[in-house]
Amino acid sequence: MTSAFLLDMSRCIGCEACVVACKTGNELPIGRQYIELIEHTSGTFPNLTGGFQNQRCYHCSDATCVAVCPTGALFKDDGLTRLNRDACSGCGYCVQSCPYDVPKMSDGRASKCDACASNVGGGGSPWCVTTCPGKALKYGDREEILAEAHQRVDTIKGRYPNAQVYGETQAGGLGLILVLPDDPETLSIPADPPPTPASANLWKNWVQPISMGSTAVAVAGLGVLGVIARRNHIAEMNEVEGSEEAAVAAGDGSEGINDA
Amino acid sequence: MARVELDITRRQFFGAGLAGAAAIGAGTSPLAMRYPDPPWFATGEVTTTYNYCDMCPWKCGIAVQSVDGKVLKVDGNINDPKSRGMLCGRGQGGVSFMYDPDRLQSPMIRTGERGEGKFREVTWEEALDYTAEKILAIKEQYGPESLAIFGHTTGDFWFTDYFAQAWGTPNAGKPSSALCLSPRDEACNLTLGYPVGGHEPMDWDEIECVTFIGSHVGEDSRNTVMQDFIDARDRGAQIIVVDPRFSTAASKADYWLPIKPGTDTALLLAWVNVLIEENLFDREYIDQYAVGYDELEAHVKDLTPEWASTITELPADQIRETARVMGQRHPKAAIMPGRHTTWYGNDSQRMRTVFIINSLLGAYGRHGGMYFDKSPFIDSYPHPPFAVTGSAGGCSAEPGEEVSDELPLGPSGKARADGARETFLRGATAMQELIDPMINDDPYRIAGLIVYGVNLLNSVPMPSRTIEALKKLDFILAVDVLPQEHIAWADVVFPEATFLERYDELSTVPYKTPFIQMREPAVAPMYDTMPGWQMARELGLRVGLDAYFKWETVEEYLDTRLRSVGSSLEKMHDAGGVLIQEGKPYLEDFGDESPFRTPSGKIELFSEELAEAGFDPIPVFEPTEEPPDGYFRLLYGRVPVHTFAKTQNTPVLSDVYPENELWINEDEAAALGYSNGDRVWLENEAGDRTGPIPVKATQRIRKDAVFMAHGFGQQSEGLTNANGRGASDTKMMSRYKLDPISGGAGMRINFVRLVEGG
Repeated sequence: MTSAFLLDMSRCIGCEACVVACKTGNELPIGRQYIELIEHTSGTFPNLTGGFQNQRCYHCSDATCVAVCPTGALFKDDGLTRLNRDACSGCGYCVQSCPYDVPKMSDGRASKCDACASNVGGGGSPWCVTTCPGKALKYGDREEILAEAHQRVDTIKGRYPNAQVYGETQAGGLGLILVLPDDPETLSIPADPPPTPASANLWKNWVQPISMGSTAVAVAGLGVLGVIARRNHIAEMNEVEGSEEAAVAAGDGSEGINDA
Repeated sequence: MARVELDITRRQFFGAGLAGAAAIGAGTSPLAMRYPDPPWFATGEVTTTYNYCDMCPWKCGIAVQSVDGKVLKVDGNINDPKSRGMLCGRGQGGVSFMYDPDRLQSPMIRTGERGEGKFREVTWEEALDYTAEKILAIKEQYGPESLAIFGHTTGDFWFTDYFAQAWGTPNAGKPSSALCLSPRDEACNLTLGYPVGGHEPMDWDEIECVTFIGSHVGEDSRNTVMQDFIDARDRGAQIIVVDPRFSTAASKADYWLPIKPGTDTALLLAWVNVLIEENLFDREYIDQYAVGYDELEAHVKDLTPEWASTITELPADQIRETARVMGQRHPKAAIMPGRHTTWYGNDSQRMRTVFIINSLLGAYGRHGGMYFDKSPFIDSYPHPPFAVTGSAGGCSAEPGEEVSDELPLGPSGKARADGARETFLRGATAMQELIDPMINDDPYRIAGLIVYGVNLLNSVPMPSRTIEALKKLDFILAVDVLPQEHIAWADVVFPEATFLERYDELSTVPYKTPFIQMREPAVAPMYDTMPGWQMARELGLRVGLDAYFKWETVEEYLDTRLRSVGSSLEKMHDAGGVLIQEGKPYLEDFGDESPFRTPSGKIELFSEELAEAGFDPIPVFEPTEEPPDGYFRLLYGRVPVHTFAKTQNTPVLSDVYPENELWINEDEAAALGYSNGDRVWLENEAGDRTGPIPVKATQRIRKDAVFMAHGFGQQSEGLTNANGRGASDTKMMSRYKLDPISGGAGMRINFVRLVEGG
């Protein structure tokens, strides 16, 4: 049994209660956000349709982010993609490889929805689900969520002839099952995200376990990855901000870069 | 209930009484091993207090979770009929509002010139004594009526209602009246004999067709309305949205009518025409409950969809079809009364047309239409008769109750200074009409002002006129949580404890099932702040109003009231923070008694009262002024995570939506050489400028108007997040048009153009 979210876009009214509940429930600092609502519009005035893309983790079964994560900070649990930020080296591979463009770097580490792991562990629901005034969100057993998604699609076909379930098969099956009023592209969601590159899986399945098995190798590996990570991060900061501090930090390689 | 159980489950899971980290370390889940930081609810005993949210005027019941004296989370109270366990983003931001580092922390007395913002911190004793001395001097010299009291948000009761009535000024006002609700409530009074009531009593559970005229459900994130709207729509209710802008609501609608701004009454009259011509209305209901049908029928005879089409720029077929969609579903169909209805200065007549249509649909008191709301029963705390009754005006009557529209008189015999009965017919105090008397002493001098929680320079139109008034007043007391722009003009500043830090008056909610909500503090007031009830009481005791403040503590006040309904503070807390009573929602609950307390005792399609006062007894379409070449009509509204000009500085909400955007038709923007994200300034016809604001070039709006969220573009250096962010709609309002029936200030008659630089 695995868990999943149901997100019924026919019921989402774009109020962003989920966005703020997620920030407050997870005590995310200013600047960090796991859910972002992006307004979409199709057509020209006055023949328009519109909706909100909920940009948030899709919890892929074949999660590229997990495959490329060198430290095991990203891992699968209960069908969901969790993140232990303490174990994150800040390499940014997950950011670069996610087919949905979800993880972000924040304070030098990866940042994304972990399905309120700490909250649901005690039997509760993720914060976004409990607060949603449109009741567009649900959380539960993935099989039941899928069945409900199909039922919902049948219910809304009258209003939305092209309604469909999204996430049953994509990326090995998602932990975020969407009920979409129309084709996913109308909300800039890829109909079929690119699969995890074979090389990443190879690395994940063979190289990482071996290296993690040996403390010495792991430490050495992390050291190397740490340097790569720092280099990537600094390059990114220079590119984005061109800030003097970042350049200085790059020069002396100080640990303080995460706070810069 | 489920919420409470969840908390217990969580605590059990993490091991009650154990340190969170240790509990997690010892947890059975391998997952727990990977999370070194315990979540907030595992770091100690979670205390739940009950409250009603103050982040918008809707007042959802909330459960407030604290650990070790720190408030950590608010959630919808599962027992509350309005929140039902859910809460919008603004409500979720309540904790951040309380912990905003920019809060006013100490009472202050001005040291510099007015407007300079220079103060010295003083003790409460000094601030209260000084204020008492100043307002007593005003009373001595000019009479008690010369103190005006403006108030907004939930705690304003203690100043705008209680203190004002005890003190004896009829010049108390709230922006929620003449800057918002007045036209709809006075039109409802004139038509049905009672005001709409705070919660737009639509019978969502059974409704089959809902029409919005400029209501932005979704962007206006009133929790209950969003829940009910989505459920009704999911059941198959037809949704009709009339809006110059493709709002979120429009994106959920079955019919979107992109109307030309200012022409709504023409559309509404054409709908009346179709309902009558095609016999799609409830004739039996009208015969039994309404007067003036024959006059109405004759009045709309030529007001066809074709006639309205040329005015509204909507296809006649669309007008006809939407009227049929409504009419075929009567009485389970209604037009949402909406809230902010002060648009063009003829707004009461537009709103009367809305209520006439709802009446033709037979909606009032019918299942699936508009139910009759009822206020909960509870006694007041005993007090001597007030010196003035109904200071802030307003209309508290409910269906079946007599509406009093008598003008309150002050103890020295002076009536309200807002021009009521002279420049406008009836209704609550028109707050914006009290500004001129402050400047030119006409009809008499207003010498003092207490402003509680109103963001004065970012909500009242013509802010430069307001500043002129602020310069001239003898005394200004500002009560607030944050250093809003107008604070710099105050003589004394009282910093208030937020809603999470204080007891407050009970919230009595007129509803299908009337109910009472409590507010109890989650933590003690931070800094040197004080709850509003305590400020009002301390001030009252210093100005000779002891008899009105007999209670020693607010707990005693609240307990006394609650005992009249067999409860108490403790019992109410144990019951989950809410007391629910029985309502009287449908016609059948009234028996032979009429719920319509108009002069005729019926729904007045034709208004004798308006005819006698020289107004059109049946609404007539009046064109509104068009924008000059190169200018756009300025429309304003909401974004879901902000309320009024109140939450723009709240850290978590500012993080999600830091500045407003200027919606402009994509083709118009291109013609002007602008594209998405370009930062522009706005200039009105008077030459005032505001900005910069990023352009949102979109197909979602007509070419003759621009739109932006209200409340941004504030200018106060004390507001780290709000200062200088975005553009201010209020600062573009160099004029407004007074609605001669309700006293409402029509504000959508201001035109702006896009310019470079401020």
